[in-house]
Amino acid sequence: MPLKGVDFTLRNSPTLKKYLIETMPGGVALLDYNNDGLLDIFLVNAGRVQNPMTWPPDFARHDPHYWNRLYRQNKDGTFTDVTEQAGLSKAGDTNYGMGVAVGDYDNDGYPDIYVTSFGKNILYHNNGDGTFTDVTDKAGVAAGGWSTSAGFFDFDNDGNLDLFVTRYLDWTPANSKTCGAEKPTYCPPGEFPAVSNILYHNRGDGTFEDVSVASGIAAKKGHGLGVAFADYDGDGFTDIFVANDVTNQFLFHNNGNGTFTECALDVGAALTSNGKMLSGMGVAFQDYDNDGLPDLLVTQLPHQPYVVFHNEGKAGFSAQELETGFGALSGAVSGWGVGLEDFDNDGWKDAFVVQGHVFDNVEIYDSSLQYREPPLLALNDHGRFKRAQVGSNMPLAGRGAAFGDLRNSGRIDVVATSLGDPPQFFRNRGGHAHWLGITLRGTKSNRDGFGARVQVNGQVRFATAAGSYLSSNDKRLHFGLGSAEKADIEIQWPSGIHQTLRNVNANQFISIVEEQQP
Amino acid sequence: MIDVLLWLCLLAQTQAAEPAPSAEALTLLRAGIEAENRHDEDAAIASFRKASEIAPGSSLIFVRLGGAYMKKAAYADAIAPLKRAEELAPDAPAVHQLLGFALLAQGYSKEAIPHLEKAREHGALGIAQLQSGQPAEAAANFQLALAQNPDDPDLLYYLSKASAALASQSLDKLLSLAPDSPRAHQALGQHYFSLKMYPEAREEYERALTMRPDLPGLRLELGQLFAATSQWERAEEQFRGEVKLQPGNAEAAYRLGYALLQQGKMKEAASELRRSDDLGQDMSETLYALGKSTAVSDPPAAAKAFLRIIELEKATALAAQAYLALAEIHRKQGKTELAAREMQEYRRIKASAPITPPAHQ
Repeated sequence: MPLKGVDFTLRNSPTLKKYLIETMPGGVALLDYNNDGLLDIFLVNAGRVQNPMTWPPDFARHDPHYWNRLYRQNKDGTFTDVTEQAGLSKAGDTNYGMGVAVGDYDNDGYPDIYVTSFGKNILYHNNGDGTFTDVTDKAGVAAGGWSTSAGFFDFDNDGNLDLFVTRYLDWTPANSKTCGAEKPTYCPPGEFPAVSNILYHNRGDGTFEDVSVASGIAAKKGHGLGVAFADYDGDGFTDIFVANDVTNQFLFHNNGNGTFTECALDVGAALTSNGKMLSGMGVAFQDYDNDGLPDLLVTQLPHQPYVVFHNEGKAGFSAQELETGFGALSGAVSGWGVGLEDFDNDGWKDAFVVQGHVFDNVEIYDSSLQYREPPLLALNDHGRFKRAQVGSNMPLAGRGAAFGDLRNSGRIDVVATSLGDPPQFFRNRGGHAHWLGITLRGTKSNRDGFGARVQVNGQVRFATAAGSYLSSNDKRLHFGLGSAEKADIEIQWPSGIHQTLRNVNANQFISIVEEQQP
Repeated sequence: MIDVLLWLCLLAQTQAAEPAPSAEALTLLRAGIEAENRHDEDAAIASFRKASEIAPGSSLIFVRLGGAYMKKAAYADAIAPLKRAEELAPDAPAVHQLLGFALLAQGYSKEAIPHLEKAREHGALGIAQLQSGQPAEAAANFQLALAQNPDDPDLLYYLSKASAALASQSLDKLLSLAPDSPRAHQALGQHYFSLKMYPEAREEYERALTMRPDLPGLRLELGQLFAATSQWERAEEQFRGEVKLQPGNAEAAYRLGYALLQQGKMKEAASELRRSDDLGQDMSETLYALGKSTAVSDPPAAAKAFLRIIELEKATALAAQAYLALAEIHRKQGKTELAAREMQEYRRIKASAPITPPAHQ
């Protein structure tokens, strides 16, 4: 359904040249930028693509049609476009927009916005008065090349959010090419050189240091599209998973000393259960089977199901897309934005995937496939997923998806982007089961509490806004409680502090401040 | 070598019937042969031509002239002297061999056929027949030729081409004689399936099934169509039907097991895949699917299946997958050293034959 007051269209400007950038945007973020308790929406636009493209390119981002947009939610549930007054209009004519990450990098209590692009990325500092300032140059996080998903997390547990930026491949109009036998179409990533991702360390003074080489992140080149964070091995340090397109997936194990070791193949999280490479697009890194360990759900292109990497503890991961039901749910579709959220509040995290093929003319090549596809909602029945009605079968050229409780109703909603279309709002009207919404406020840890392991009545969530595809989720942690009217909460903060709350009433949003412990 | 044999052969074949050439003609003939030995084809042709003018009744000389033209790949020029040689020595296989080759090289395939038949040149004869729209005869001749040279890539290529043409010809005949028969609809289903025209293929298969629900193989093909489009429940239904019709068909059991596996019905899948393995032992794909279906419930059985694949496949992509699966089993059992060893094997195979990436479709 449309969002009242949101008049945005994701303008990707497809051309007959089939420039690869055209089919990859764009991101969406759910954030409360003005701390009024209502989630607002930030949408990344792409740009005008000329045919043929000039160099340097001119994506006409000065034109309001191609602006990124911030919509403030009003008390009545409508939205107001505040882009211009917030200082977020334009985005540089040479930048073709891709994704968005949100995090309070300076711990001032207001969420900041990082926008990725083909071109230069932009960091907008939230001034706390409804406006933002472009601090990219000062912060030193412009990156360059083709950035896709990004996310804030605190890799060294120093209390300051660091920034990870995935990058797709080495593409320019000069090395662009088309593929396809009958009609030209977009080329697969293997036609272009792989690139490395970027890790920025937050110095805590408003600037970042590129530590990609020193940390070992730059040692691995791939075709990165999605990124998600969780401490998969429980060593107290947040690890990084990168969804790569037709390359082995990357799991960067955080060694706890500022370096990372890429270990996906050795721990069983690089390939499908058949030992095949994935066309990894989006990723969710949460615990779907309530065993307390974060698992991975990676979306990909058709003819192979979305892959579930089940966390086996010390035994690493095992690909369980068939056991979990995704073999039957996803073999003929293309997935992008993805979330593992408890949509029916029954205490089990369900899956929602935004879908749509990468080729806008795929029907020519395979009549069993479609460019536009309806999204997938799969409810979790004790670890096995089953298709459920989304409420709309409108097919989309789906890409980004952000998850959050947009109406503060105790139910997780979805906002999805679709190429050439307005964003789609999937309002969750389901069920009367109990729930709990938790906002973390770190004191010793980063203020957003990103990286915290939060356990509620036996369920675990890892605090993060990252994941999905090009998008940023509501940072509040949502727990479905089923029939339970009370909740016991245990928090393992990134600082190492362990905090417990007992008998918390259900059906409320609570804010938990990190305890000061010796 | 061919020259000497041809010479001796022709000499033997024509000696009795033809008058001996004059001394002058023989001198020119020898000069031509010497020029050929020097690889001076133009001089050879000039000598043979002069000799043929002096001795117009000598098939030997015309064969040498035609042969010299063929060495220069001047097939059009070779045809006339070879035809004259045929007039003079109509039963000489070597003459027919050269003439058949020359005519075929110039695209006169129908004309070449009788000559190649007389020369018993099965390979070239097959090509001429294939080009003349006789794929069945062509296939038979390619098989005869392959009996002598089993690994000849050209012959293998032409045999596959002839078989395809034969299939197409048979299909045309089937469609024209019995266009509404179950087999015609099945054949059309196969045709559309190969072109990825899935709705059309499905329609044809279903029409065939309506007419002959008991026809073996039909449900297997329709099930494969559903499998290709990831409609696993429908695929399962068709494969179940096929298994009912052909309980002894190992492929049907495998396909059913695989469809069950894709739906996460591990126990049922394992049972059907075991049955398939019993029916047609040591099929690597069946063993792999069996291993995957039992990896959680019965790791030792899964490991046994994967080890058997490695024995059978040695260093193929499937063997690499088996090592990967074994490593996972070992990791889960806490046998990290064994897991590392399997991963080493996986990496060794992968380094020699990188994994094929998925199609971007």
